[in-house]
Amino acid sequence: MKTEEQLQETLDFIGEYAGQLLGSGVHTSRVVRNTKRIGRSQDINVHITTFQRTAILTVSDPETHRTLTEVIDIPQLPISFELNSNLSALSWRAADRHMPLCDIREEYRRLVSRPKINPLFVMLMASLANASFCRLFGGDLCAVCIVFSSTLVGFSLKQELQKMGLNHFIVFILSAFMASLCASSALVFNADAEVALATSVLFLIPGVPLINGVIDIVEGHILLGLSRIINALLLVVCLAIGLSATLLLVKNSLL
Amino acid sequence: MNIVYELIADGFFAAIAGMGFGAISDPPLKAFPGIGILAALGHALRYALMDYAGIDIASASFCAALLIGFMSLLLGERLRCPMTVLYIPALLPMIPGMYAYRTVFSMIMFMQNIGDAALSSEYMAALLLNAVVTVTVIFALAVGATIPIFLFKEKAYSMTREKPRNRKRHDGNVLADNK
Repeated sequence: MKTEEQLQETLDFIGEYAGQLLGSGVHTSRVVRNTKRIGRSQDINVHITTFQRTAILTVSDPETHRTLTEVIDIPQLPISFELNSNLSALSWRAADRHMPLCDIREEYRRLVSRPKINPLFVMLMASLANASFCRLFGGDLCAVCIVFSSTLVGFSLKQELQKMGLNHFIVFILSAFMASLCASSALVFNADAEVALATSVLFLIPGVPLINGVIDIVEGHILLGLSRIINALLLVVCLAIGLSATLLLVKNSLL
Repeated sequence: MNIVYELIADGFFAAIAGMGFGAISDPPLKAFPGIGILAALGHALRYALMDYAGIDIASASFCAALLIGFMSLLLGERLRCPMTVLYIPALLPMIPGMYAYRTVFSMIMFMQNIGDAALSSEYMAALLLNAVVTVTVIFALAVGATIPIFLFKEKAYSMTREKPRNRKRHDGNVLADNK
């Protein structure tokens, strides 16, 4: 048995929790399972309908059959696998230990405010990744080095532009153009220019939303899956525009 | 001997690529070695299937993704982290970048040679070929890695749950295993 305030309080928390998960790139069925599990720990039923930008949440008390519904906005957050993992674990702990709501909320705040990985480390890792990608596609040592440095340039440009709060489509176009332009220096050094150009922009591929989209579709959340894929494809198009600008400049030397 | 060396080199670079692309999505630190192992195994398997067994890129990617999916089931339980956290970064090195690049390149060349019937149809064919391969491989990767979740639902859905011996109720009593 819950009072009106308790039910409202639970609804508010679950709304925040679900928004955080959906915003940081967790696929839909996991969000649904986690929120239901948190609801179960508080002995209430949770039903959730999700879209790309908003979600509708209904909680009901099985004893009194009182129901509350809320529409929540989904914040646009950077993808975070760590939050995905930790918040899922929190939902299990809440359900297994029957944690009271205030404890769950406290732990939630602690997990959400944890510092992210150092951006410099991410930049270095992404550059190394792109360089090994170049090697996998058969690029020679010179091409690998060029891809490493052009990813450094492209990635740091992306980070700086994102900090300025520029529209993310424009960020993608500019970073793809910059990275591929740097990689086109492979033409001068007589390295594998085609492989260098192709791999220099791959750090921008939105792999997580693409794969999440397919997972959502095969799990039956077709609408949201399609929205995720369309979103990812728009970014791929931006990447292609940036790359095309470079290709138009250097295409005659590539043929 | 040469084969072994090539496979190890392939797996090594795939592991770096997987961990590096994973780092962009802020994974938990404990997941990094797991991502590396999965990426290396998956990519090396695909390399072997394509180069030594002559299997096409889509089927080989599907098999590799399947392996990554099953391995993430085992590793995820050990690391207590969701399967998707491990397998999504591990799949990224298998994204067919060269085909994607050639799709864009042929589209540009098609637009540039639109007046020339022979050249434009040549580039159109290349555009279609590369686009179809790119899309099919990405779809095969995502579906292949997801199949183990469907097969072992119960296990896949409780990766982040504590082991029964650690589960304590808020009041200190050990909880019965309720679903």
